[in-house]
Amino acid sequence: MANLTMSGSNAKGSFPSRVSEWISSTYRFATDRNDFRRNLLVNLGLFAAGVWVARNLSDFDLMSPQPVT
Amino acid sequence: MMGSVLAAPPPSAASPAPLLPRGFGLLLFPPPPATGSRPQREAKNVLPNPGEFEQCHQKCKEVFPTQVNGVRLVLNKTLSKHFQVNHSLHLSSTEDSSYKFGTMFVGSGQAGPAEFYPVLVGDVDGSGSLNAQVIHQVTDRIRSKVAFQTHQQTFVTWKADAEFRGEDFTAAVAFTNPDVLDDSGVVITHYLQSVTPTLAMGGQLVYQRRPGDEATFMSLVGRYTGSNFVGALTLGWAGVQASYYHRASDQLQLGVELEAGSFWEDSSVTFGYQLDVPKANLQFKGVISSNWVVGATLEKKLLPLPLSLVLCSFLNHQKNKFHCGFGVMIR
Repeated sequence: MANLTMSGSNAKGSFPSRVSEWISSTYRFATDRNDFRRNLLVNLGLFAAGVWVARNLSDFDLMSPQPVT
Repeated sequence: MMGSVLAAPPPSAASPAPLLPRGFGLLLFPPPPATGSRPQREAKNVLPNPGEFEQCHQKCKEVFPTQVNGVRLVLNKTLSKHFQVNHSLHLSSTEDSSYKFGTMFVGSGQAGPAEFYPVLVGDVDGSGSLNAQVIHQVTDRIRSKVAFQTHQQTFVTWKADAEFRGEDFTAAVAFTNPDVLDDSGVVITHYLQSVTPTLAMGGQLVYQRRPGDEATFMSLVGRYTGSNFVGALTLGWAGVQASYYHRASDQLQLGVELEAGSFWEDSSVTFGYQLDVPKANLQFKGVISSNWVVGATLEKKLLPLPLSLVLCSFLNHQKNKFHCGFGVMIR
């Protein structure tokens, strides 16, 4: 019974640790500048994201009247 | 500013070096062909001239701000409708302070609505270093340019190039630092062809020769022009360059650029935007890159005074460096 309890708590505690490990590994992957292929892959994704942002930013009018609240 | 015949804008405080008059640059969205002496053609069979090879990524690069370090003061003085001089003073704590005297002469020949020839541009600094360019329209389709750059009494760069503009293509050849005695030099050839009214493709061949060594580099370029966007891609031995320019509105322009060099094993992405508020005489440019660099430039015309104020700041998070600059341009 104690072992089951112990394994249950390990299962509950491992999920947030797995998430934090995944986040850490993703950060290391994104910021690792020693691997040229990784850098190129990350930058290709950033370029695609930048193109998507550029194409979807419209109706931007700084001189438009402010909405009346 | 220099009379109605001159369409060349004065250099800005952010980039006081003498620039080519805008009329000699690329017209990415060329005006419709003028009617008159040329016989009429079917609209679907006419392909526009694609412009210059080096201008494929220019639209995107113009969105990015220019870094200004220290204090920069630029004074432009128009002496006549053909002649203009400028004084540029740069004070900085991170690099050498300098003073430059620049001149621009524009001839009476007119090649187009905003293109005049010949054009002579040059500047010299306090140590005697000279930058000079001569641009001349030899014929209706052939344009030539000669450029010199010296560092005090030594010639650093000398370059001559010729460009031929056909109906739907542009071909150019350039000779950089040719030295017959030393058997060295660089020959660069460009060719850009309009495949469709919106698609242009071309290539560049670079031949470099040094004593006992020679090398050839080739790259291909493609550019697609939409109603409000321009995408360009360059593939070469040295790497890849991709750019995307988008005009979101009359006030907002965006640019994204990817540079990847297999030779240097490095790549980077830069995202920039430009905000124009004509009613406030304001222009703001911002940039962020994958190299952890964030920067911005603010340029405002202080009407009715003939002054333009430029504020600039760049922050490199990775290297923990911050640069700021301040510039004033007097027209």
